Amino acid sequence: MNRESRITLSEKQMGYLLIFPALLLILVIAIWPVIRSFWISLHDIRLNDPTKTEIHNAYGLDMERYVNTLPNLLRYLKKEAETAQGPAKDQLLALRQQVEQMNASLNQIGEFAHRYEQIDQLLLQFQPVPAEWKYMELTDEQTETVRKTLENVEAQLREMINGKMLQKPEGAMGVIQGVSSSIIEPNYVGFTYYKQFLTEGRMWAALWNTLFFTVVSVAVELVLGLWIAMLINKQFRGRGLIRAAVLVPWAIPTVISALMWKFLYDGQNGIVAYLFEKTGLIADMGTLLTTKAGAMFSVIFADVWKTTPFMALLLFAGLQTIPHSLYEAAEVDGASKVQQFFRITLPMLKSTILVALLFRTLDAFRVFDLIYALTGGGPANSTETISIYAYKTMFAQMSFGEGSALAVIVFVCVALISIGYIKILGADLISDSSGK
Amino acid sequence: MQKKAGPLFYLFLILFVFAIMFPFLWILIAALKPPAELFGERAFSAIIQHPTWENFRLVFTERPFGRYLLNSTIVASLTTLYAITIASFAAYAIAWLKFRGKTIVLGIVLAVSMFPQIATISPIFMFMQSTGLTNSYLGLIIPYTTIALPLAIWNLTVFFRKIPVDLGEAAKVDGATVWQTMVKVFFPLAMPGVFTTAILVFIAAWNEFLFALTINTKEMMKTVPVGIVMFQGQFTIPWGEISAASIIVTVPLIIMVLIFQKRIVSGLTSGAVKE
Repeated sequence: MNRESRITLSEKQMGYLLIFPALLLILVIAIWPVIRSFWISLHDIRLNDPTKTEIHNAYGLDMERYVNTLPNLLRYLKKEAETAQGPAKDQLLALRQQVEQMNASLNQIGEFAHRYEQIDQLLLQFQPVPAEWKYMELTDEQTETVRKTLENVEAQLREMINGKMLQKPEGAMGVIQGVSSSIIEPNYVGFTYYKQFLTEGRMWAALWNTLFFTVVSVAVELVLGLWIAMLINKQFRGRGLIRAAVLVPWAIPTVISALMWKFLYDGQNGIVAYLFEKTGLIADMGTLLTTKAGAMFSVIFADVWKTTPFMALLLFAGLQTIPHSLYEAAEVDGASKVQQFFRITLPMLKSTILVALLFRTLDAFRVFDLIYALTGGGPANSTETISIYAYKTMFAQMSFGEGSALAVIVFVCVALISIGYIKILGADLISDSSGK
Repeated sequence: MQKKAGPLFYLFLILFVFAIMFPFLWILIAALKPPAELFGERAFSAIIQHPTWENFRLVFTERPFGRYLLNSTIVASLTTLYAITIASFAAYAIAWLKFRGKTIVLGIVLAVSMFPQIATISPIFMFMQSTGLTNSYLGLIIPYTTIALPLAIWNLTVFFRKIPVDLGEAAKVDGATVWQTMVKVFFPLAMPGVFTTAILVFIAAWNEFLFALTINTKEMMKTVPVGIVMFQGQFTIPWGEISAASIIVTVPLIIMVLIFQKRIVSGLTSGAVKE
């Protein structure tokens, strides 16, 4: 820090300066991607289709493909014309003329000719073409010219194939369609995906699975957690041990706990499945992971195991802030234990419970790791949550526009849940607790 | 302050700890079993007849598990270092300096910490792919900001607010600048909070799965959680090796938790519980 800024920077300016990097990063790496996700969800983007890997708002030309395929078409037409006889020869020469005219018209666009030349050189040397050169925007008219020409050539070649006028008819469609596929269409689809999902059974099933998982696991965790917290809210030896034991499930990666449980639930060698069968809880060991209800139970059970201790820890910390004198006073007034619980413990614990519930609900709603590793969403999509469905759409089908629409749906649900909780909590959550 | 605990209570505690630790104990047993005891008749026996370190050896010789550990360590450490640095400044400003818009900033931080990762994955993935950052450390550190930074800012702010502001006022009266107050008075007092937050951020980065799964797909660049999940073949699941790998990852965590348990608990609960 130099002398000048020491004089000029006020506390206020310093404050803004200090939070600026953090805010900028959050804006660029967290908030911008969410907005971008929404924008992507309005487009048909497929990473396994070279013409759809990006957002295209206008027609365009895949230059690399064009440079690669155009000479093939010209060469093909030339060769056929050399061997053809009579009117067929004239027709082929005319077609070649048309294609050359089309290319000439494209050559008039700004840097088209220059870029063609550069890409051609790179391809000759077997070097990769830089991504920013590949895409060339076209106007609607230019696209129309290219498309009309190519359609006409294709139709005529097809006729000639039928008339057996070509030497190598099998190559014709390949070379012409190669060039045609270099036209990139705008892939804006609007709210198509949202409409599609709102009427699709699989989306609603996934949403239902997510809700069911969230409500049941969070409710069980809250009740069990509160019970445990109240039980251990005493003076006893070995508190440290309990605390450490409670922290371990929380600390290990979720996927590792999911794999552990997958082993314990295993239909042939799983000890938990075995114990459940022996005690008559399930009919046979396979039930846990191969039936719909069994799989949902297994996922919830594993989640309860991993997060109840954490819940208990939070609530335990909350319990310790309740002054003991309140209970003593209630005791004197002759209040029963049950009355004490409902009149003192619950009201005093309200904000802790709500905060814990908020974080747990949101965590549970976006559940991914646990289900990915434990059931993969199966059997028969019975444990497929909406995050898993979005992931599969994006990374198995490579349909990013569609998957982003699902991701946006997850985001909207999470936002609604948060707003709901924050309405109940009020501004309590972010307000300055020490009154500064 | 509270009632004394009776013997029944200790029995309950033992059962409780056992229930929590049972999966680990069983996985430890599985990791030490030879294949013949892992499956079939002896699958449900807790006693190992021929204990072996074979599974632990296989994890390092047959699979690049050492590499996974290295990748995870590098990514989680760098993420922690950079997130804590940037978050410290922000949290200091929010907790100690007077300026408008603090509540909004904290609100944004809290909102972002609730973002589902799936909602940011598609643009981030496409960005990493177009810039060639997939299968690199930076390719994970950048998206981990979305998890690490809000977590760090939130926790640090809560910690920093507990440091008596009078100290800062006193320094100001003595003619110290904001910068001097921060470096000389504030940071020494803030170190415990920074350290605790660093542990929490490190664990969060170490455990992250979705970004690691999609962005770093090359064998040599995978992190531990992704690497272990990918042990599963199409038809067979090498439970012995998965168990051994899980134990290798869990043991250091248990040790860390035992050492830092008080700090971690205070870090986890300080945001949620008002004192």
